[in-house]
Amino acid sequence: MGLEKSEPVEPRPPQPVPPPSPAPEPPVAPPPPPAPPEAPAPLPALTTLPLTADEFAKLARPAEPLSKAEKERLAEFTELAAQPVTGYYLAHILRLLALGLLVILIVINLPLFNGLALARALPDRQALIIRDGLLLKGSGPEVFVIENNHKRWVSSLDAFQHYGYVWDDVHLVDDSFLKQFPDDRPLHVLLKCEASPHIYRLENDLKRWIKDIPTFTAEGHVWEDVQFVSCDYLRQIPNGPPIPPDAGPPPEP
Amino acid sequence: MRNRYRFFAEIRDGVELRHKIQAMLVCSTIFFAIFGAVIGSEHSIWQAFASAVKLPLLFLLTLVICLPTLYFFNTIFESSLNLGQNFALLLAAITVTSIVLLGFAPVVLFFLITSSQYQFFKLLNVAVFVIAGWIGIWQLSQGIWMLTAHDRRGARARSRIMRIWILLYAFVGSQLAWTLRPFFGAPGLPFELFRGLGGNFYTNIFASLGEVLGFFVVR
Repeated sequence: MGLEKSEPVEPRPPQPVPPPSPAPEPPVAPPPPPAPPEAPAPLPALTTLPLTADEFAKLARPAEPLSKAEKERLAEFTELAAQPVTGYYLAHILRLLALGLLVILIVINLPLFNGLALARALPDRQALIIRDGLLLKGSGPEVFVIENNHKRWVSSLDAFQHYGYVWDDVHLVDDSFLKQFPDDRPLHVLLKCEASPHIYRLENDLKRWIKDIPTFTAEGHVWEDVQFVSCDYLRQIPNGPPIPPDAGPPPEP
Repeated sequence: MRNRYRFFAEIRDGVELRHKIQAMLVCSTIFFAIFGAVIGSEHSIWQAFASAVKLPLLFLLTLVICLPTLYFFNTIFESSLNLGQNFALLLAAITVTSIVLLGFAPVVLFFLITSSQYQFFKLLNVAVFVIAGWIGIWQLSQGIWMLTAHDRRGARARSRIMRIWILLYAFVGSQLAWTLRPFFGAPGLPFELFRGLGGNFYTNIFASLGEVLGFFVVR
């Protein structure tokens, strides 16, 4: 603060701190131009600070007066708020409605119609969501599974069980409804183990050896349908007639 | 709630705020639960129970998620409302929504029993939710305006921000509804408490609309 480094600093007794002097006037700040009465006041130069928080808030964001319509709306709201409360039965009606709905809810969920609840008593044919994995059955014994907007015939009970389907999921539909889905390859269970080149088709708890690749493709099979299992498991399944039947004795996997 | 102007005035003055909040929480939860059970009955009794729990959860979670933004927006733009008042106002909107839904419940029940088209039933309920939600939001904006009418600084900005907040509220609500689905339960599908994530609310509604109008089949 103005002392030379070479000069020795003498200890001085503590001096009383002088009161802060008012901020100096800005040196050459021109007076602000006259503003219309409603216009927000211009922000003062920083040198005139400190301002209180309230003062600064008033300067920073001018108040937006209520418009005539807003004043009328507010007056209307205030008047309405002062009016006595009407419609004393509202709470009672709400309670009654809630109770009535609860009773109806219980009634429509009771299995009164041949084991079906009223809420779900309508035939579900129209309400079916067409999706992959949907099981459909027409007037015949065949069960089909929907895949990519095509129907695949589930060729056997083995295949049905193997793919984890359950009878409760099979929806009975009209034949005309089934016809809208083009046929895709049937759904078989094709098994193979790593150590053996042979492929077997599971039918009626028997494994049927598929003789060669031309037969495999001629039967409408694709490689994607072949499932790998252990050779021990495959050997435990009894042999059925090979495909084609004149293919000779089936080899062991 | 019979005189909402008085109700707003009492919230502004902090009259029995805690009692009001408790009453609204109880009422809205019960009403949402009843409506949830109605729409869930379309599938199975388990879906009815699940929807009765999930529907109040949906609205209360949306409230919890959106409340801080409402409060901070209002505070930043110089509203004098405190957090409790914001909460009470938002809860009032949700309670009104629940009352409107309860009013619609007999209509929904009628279509539940007499119609078996799932997509139609779903769209009908979406329309009911939109109407009820809109009435609730209208109530909220009216309440906020009334409570902050004298806070003139930042009033215009608050009004604009409120519109944006309503959009945010709708987006959060719809996405949360999609996350907590199913509320109806698709026919032919087994009961499931929550369905896997994927897709979104808007494409699903568009697809349902397409099927009802016969343009394509939802899969």
